[in-house]
Amino acid sequence: MSNTMEKRLQKELMKLVSEPPAGVTFDSESADSKLTLWKVKVVGAKDTLYDGESFILQFKFTPKYPFESPQVIFIGPNIPVHPHIYSNGHICLSILTDDWSPALSVQAVCLSIVSMLSSCKKKVRPPDNVVYVSTCSKNPKKTNWYYHDDSQS
Amino acid sequence: MASASSASHNNSSNNAGTNSNTESNENEDSAQANFECNICLDTAKDAVVSFCGHLFCWPCLHTWLETRPNNKVCPVCKAAISRDKVIPLYGRGCANQDPREKTPPRPSGIRSEPENQGPFQNFWGDNFQVSFGIGAFPFGYFSTNFGTNHGADQQRPQTEQEQNERFLSEVFFMVVLISFFFLMLA
Ligand SMILES: [Zn+2]
Ligand SMILES: [Zn+2]
Repeated sequence: MSNTMEKRLQKELMKLVSEPPAGVTFDSESADSKLTLWKVKVVGAKDTLYDGESFILQFKFTPKYPFESPQVIFIGPNIPVHPHIYSNGHICLSILTDDWSPALSVQAVCLSIVSMLSSCKKKVRPPDNVVYVSTCSKNPKKTNWYYHDDSQS
Repeated sequence: MASASSASHNNSSNNAGTNSNTESNENEDSAQANFECNICLDTAKDAVVSFCGHLFCWPCLHTWLETRPNNKVCPVCKAAISRDKVIPLYGRGCANQDPREKTPPRPSGIRSEPENQGPFQNFWGDNFQVSFGIGAFPFGYFSTNFGTNHGADQQRPQTEQEQNERFLSEVFFMVVLISFFFLMLA
């Protein structure tokens, strides 16, 4: 099992370093030796509210990856102000929990998050940000996320 | 709170290189990628292909099916998938043993859905979870809409817990109904 994890992460790492998608940069030095912790830089796309801003995403993998989703949060001083991103870096994105599939990858998650930023129309924190941040677990996967359709919010 | 709908996870299209050298490399890459398992990203071992056409190593797919026993969907396209909905592939010279025989099916955990979901199902529709509380007369109940508008295009199959909860609340509702009925008679 953990063998699958290591091999797969190795493959993903090579691909991400050699052919990074637009707006995503990954420094393989930032990963720890066992590849269980990655830091990926994402840059807001041109002509969006986040144009020119850069953010750090942290990925944590368990030995059950890719059958289990990675734990993904924004870290560092710059957490995007976005209706689905809490000020502690937690992201409300269904593919990170319920809709995870082992056919997804670090790259797919990054692209999903970049497109989530790009489609943002107003830079605001989620309405329950204060309550959530003061009560949530450190691990966003422990949150019982209630997902609803983007087009309605 | 809300989810951005998942970005497509089929990022296989790659831009053809401009010079012939990279082009031939990429052709080689993509030729190989055609036979890569969609889960471990390695060349598929004990390969099986789903009815929806997606290729996996049987051990990889088996692990995924065990990970979410109540939500068996193709990792790539989310079509329904199960042990009986895959076809083993035999290359030339491969032993003709069905890979599905090699990974023993888990001893327990085979559970088929009841055909008839009971009368309340139709009344509230498939996407309602109903829970009941006693205390106030007659009995307050809440019905919560779960997950129809979730992930835009596909309906999320229920997790085990939700199913259990729903089952429990249905049982509970029956009990309450029956006792109410007796109260009326008395
Ligand atoms: Zn595989
Ligand atoms: Zn499929």
